[in-house]
Amino acid sequence: MNENRRQILEMLAAGKINAAEAERLLAALEDGPVANNGVFAEKAQPKTKSKAKYLRVLVEAADKGGPTTVNVRVPMQLLYAGVRLAALIPPQAHAQLDQALSSHGVPLTLSQIKPENLEELIDHLEDLTVDVDAKQDNTKVRVFCE
Amino acid sequence: MTPNFAVVGVDTPDFHMPRLWLPVFLLWIPVILLSPVIFLVLVTMAIFTRTTIWRIIAICWGILSGLTGTHVQVNTCDARILVRIL
Repeated sequence: MNENRRQILEMLAAGKINAAEAERLLAALEDGPVANNGVFAEKAQPKTKSKAKYLRVLVEAADKGGPTTVNVRVPMQLLYAGVRLAALIPPQAHAQLDQALSSHGVPLTLSQIKPENLEELIDHLEDLTVDVDAKQDNTKVRVFCE
Repeated sequence: MTPNFAVVGVDTPDFHMPRLWLPVFLLWIPVILLSPVIFLVLVTMAIFTRTTIWRIIAICWGILSGLTGTHVQVNTCDARILVRIL
């Protein structure tokens, strides 16, 4: 039995607390921090991170005529679908695509990319925030997930 | 959920268009009518990509469903363009 639970039950048995207080303490013990040798530590619960639903791109630029703003919101679900669409590329086209990508400075081998890798990539994209502030052109670009 | 409406707005100095609410769900009618042709296209795609037709249908459905919530807005000094898919 847990040490804290035992203490609560002993307090209840000794009459120091009533049944309702003991119940509340036990409930708090299950939900809250867990004591380990007298030192309270955070219960090992995974933090529930709210899943990002959209990829947002905001661009603000000051042209000669006036300001230009671009506001694009792409659902993450569409990105997932796009990733799955890459699986439809015929195997014969992989070599040509790899060559074209590497000639443009992207040394990528498409055949080595598995759908689970790409899904992991998109999952990590949720933590992405890119801020570009070009002072010469007065252009600001923000890319983030929300 | 597949898109039901698309909102399109274009506003330039020469051309002003009020925001149009396009009933995208009505496109299901031609899709159903053309379903034999679409099926043949999907079968051809499945053969060329060496995958199953169900996978292609799942991908197409995913793209269609993923479009919901897309928002594109461009504002310049003399033009405004808005596309929203609801």
